Amino acid sequence: MNGKTQEELTPEKKPILEMRHISKRFDMTQALDDVSFDLYPGEIHGLVGENGAGKSTLIKIITGVYSPDRGEILLDGTPVQIHNSQEAQAFGIAAIYQEPMVFPDLNVAENIFISHRDRGPVVRWGKMCEDAQAILAELDVRLDVRMAARGLTLAAQQAVEIAKAISLNVRVLIMDEPTASLSSHEVAQLFKLTRSLSSQGVSILFIGHRLEEVFEISDRVTVLRDGKKISSRLRDEVTSEGVIRDMVGRPVSDFFAKESTDRGELLMSVRDLGKENVFHGINFDVYRGEVLGFAGLIGSRRTDVGLALFGVEPADSGEILFEGKPHKIHSPQQALKLGIAYATEDRRQLGLNLPMSIASNISLPMLPRYLNRLGLVRRRDEVSTAEEFRQRLSIRTSSVMVEVEKLSGGNQQKVMLSKWLNADPKLLILDEPTRGIDVGAKAEVHHMINDLAARGLAVILISSDLPEVLAMSDRILVMREGRQMGVFEHADATQEEVMTAAMGQSSKVREVAQ
Amino acid sequence: MNFLIRRFRPEQIRELFLILLIVLVVAFFSTQISGYFNARFINRISTSVVVVAILAVGQTLVFLTRNFDLSVGSITGFTAYFVGQQLWWHQDIPPLAAVLLAIGVGAFMGSINGVLVAYGKVPSIITTISTLAIYRSVLVEYSDAVPITTNNLPDWIVKLPAVSLIEVGDVQFRLVFAVLLLVVLVFQLVLSYLPFGRRLYAIGSNPDAAQIAGFPAQRIVFMAFVLSGGLAGLAGFIFLARFGNISVLAGIGLEFASIAAVVVGGVSNMGGSGTVFGALLGAVLIDLLENSLFRWQIISEFWRDAILGMLILLAVAIDYVVIGRLRMMWARAELQMESEEPQTEPEVAINVR
Repeated sequence: MNGKTQEELTPEKKPILEMRHISKRFDMTQALDDVSFDLYPGEIHGLVGENGAGKSTLIKIITGVYSPDRGEILLDGTPVQIHNSQEAQAFGIAAIYQEPMVFPDLNVAENIFISHRDRGPVVRWGKMCEDAQAILAELDVRLDVRMAARGLTLAAQQAVEIAKAISLNVRVLIMDEPTASLSSHEVAQLFKLTRSLSSQGVSILFIGHRLEEVFEISDRVTVLRDGKKISSRLRDEVTSEGVIRDMVGRPVSDFFAKESTDRGELLMSVRDLGKENVFHGINFDVYRGEVLGFAGLIGSRRTDVGLALFGVEPADSGEILFEGKPHKIHSPQQALKLGIAYATEDRRQLGLNLPMSIASNISLPMLPRYLNRLGLVRRRDEVSTAEEFRQRLSIRTSSVMVEVEKLSGGNQQKVMLSKWLNADPKLLILDEPTRGIDVGAKAEVHHMINDLAARGLAVILISSDLPEVLAMSDRILVMREGRQMGVFEHADATQEEVMTAAMGQSSKVREVAQ
Repeated sequence: MNFLIRRFRPEQIRELFLILLIVLVVAFFSTQISGYFNARFINRISTSVVVVAILAVGQTLVFLTRNFDLSVGSITGFTAYFVGQQLWWHQDIPPLAAVLLAIGVGAFMGSINGVLVAYGKVPSIITTISTLAIYRSVLVEYSDAVPITTNNLPDWIVKLPAVSLIEVGDVQFRLVFAVLLLVVLVFQLVLSYLPFGRRLYAIGSNPDAAQIAGFPAQRIVFMAFVLSGGLAGLAGFIFLARFGNISVLAGIGLEFASIAAVVVGGVSNMGGSGTVFGALLGAVLIDLLENSLFRWQIISEFWRDAILGMLILLAVAIDYVVIGRLRMMWARAELQMESEEPQTEPEVAINVR
């Protein structure tokens, strides 16, 4: 499918949606920085970028979930304010997401018409079903409209969402990674649907993480990076190398330089690790004193591998050799006993007990160590442990009895690290240790990771921050959609190569993975 | 099998199952208690079930939105007392005005719950457990512990429970039961045919999606609580008519009876599924069991609650196991019918939650 040419897009046609100089800031992060962007009638516009590039923020501004700090949105050349999804709907803007937003207990026809207010005071089931059937027929989708949405496949649920958008006379349809959970057959169906919509004049903003799909469907491709628009090119002018270069290319200079440490003896070998429908064919070795980076985009299942190694959601096939002996890790308790600790990505929800003190948080996984003969917690020991970590990791707080919720993100991260380091692990899995903390704290965490590796600890560093993984890791394992795409040495990994593997572009990398 | 699948939805199967269970219970006790099933028994059940069943209708509306209304016991007690007192002081209040007064007072109390839950974002279990206690105290304070007795009330209301519309032999079709059937019918229609009703299901079914779909979710949750309160008011009026003697203890425990009825009746506590008719069947089954166990001397009265509790657990177990299975079968059957066209992809993902 060839993209439309510039002439087809622009002559006498005015853009239906224009975003001018949009900026949006959340606390520490500039999510969008002076982004301008337009969308023509009937155009399919691909939007790509790394995790955190600002794609989601952009969508949420268009659909009225967020309002921009600066800049304006024009619809048909008129400036508009969109305050919520109801207003966006009234302007003819709708969005479908990776996880379809259907009502499982309502039937297909009801789901299509649930947002309508113009269908009279009483639900006329017969008419509603007929109308729903007509819309689905137009889309060439075969579904029993009287069936509850609960039993539908994801692809069918997405078809229902698209039908819903059409019934609302949508003019701008945003599709946010709609193919993430679809099979290739279902993707083909979705694309057929998308093209038929665009031929009816509907403009589509397609956010994707599989480049080949974005190229297949889009007329134009826009790349965002760090909240800025990097490029916007017609389909025929883009190459995957060019897009990947635009997506990465972040400076590495602000990172802590990797201190080369001597690789120690082999600690753990993972052979053919798999979990049904989640990941499979994971193979790697970790040595003492080494940082092994896990790179990949959202949905690459890196975290799931981490959770499997820690026994939270155990793997169901393959082998884990720890210190030479095979182990089936089926619970975190067992993993801790072996010497594996896991500092979670979501420190607010899973990692820390916010209303409890720093000292209580740190001692929690190792509580039996702190019990006296009566089975009571020896407070004094707890506090002295906490003081030790407070100094070692320079946790900034007035006292270790302060509740964790009162600390900044960076200091919370340090408390969580202390908690797991206190377990004296041999292998520490760090999942997004620097997400959402400021630059200074980030540098400290990086320094600490180096320090830990130098002391002979093996570290698995899962991070979406590509320059971070590249700078910190001795070796980098790249994953894509539950598969291992390759393992790169620190010396010869470049951002382009790793991103190419993460997006599944190069055939060379595929061979490595086999 | 395909015939069954085409004809009934899983929810309807459950209702048929409840009817079967009711028949089995009657059959069982008929063998245990001599002279068990007669016209008098039918008349008694059809009167005694009314209060709980009306509360169960209101509870269903609230349950559909993934909330609870625990305050209905106190609302029923308060309106029963309040309306009784008004009738005592003003003997000439017309019956219809008394009914509307009861519904109005109940709806007002329900609206307080509604504001707190829908707009104040206070979890419904906390809100209504608090108002349960508060409304009870209001009743104690308001009544000054002076009970209302049958002697104080106008004649018409005392005789109301026995008023019969049609009689077939000794079996009476009583007015209060007719009111219950009317309430069930009206709300069944509301849930099936009004946008309000459908949106109740939508909100409980997927609250996130309800937010995005752009309809006034808060107002709908609020209305569910107002209606639950109003129905509790109506139940209070019937409670007054039925018992005549109203103390500060009136209606204690009805909140649990109503929740038991909707759970047994197959209304999901996760919102989004269940019917008013199911809740009625649940109320009938529980009332039937209570009345029957009361007459079955083998079981001590202390065990009656335990049996009720086991029934609730059984109902929930059926909900999770059997209905889940059925849904899966239904989904598969649909897929089979769908895939009469050639399918290139061998595996078909079934996303049954």
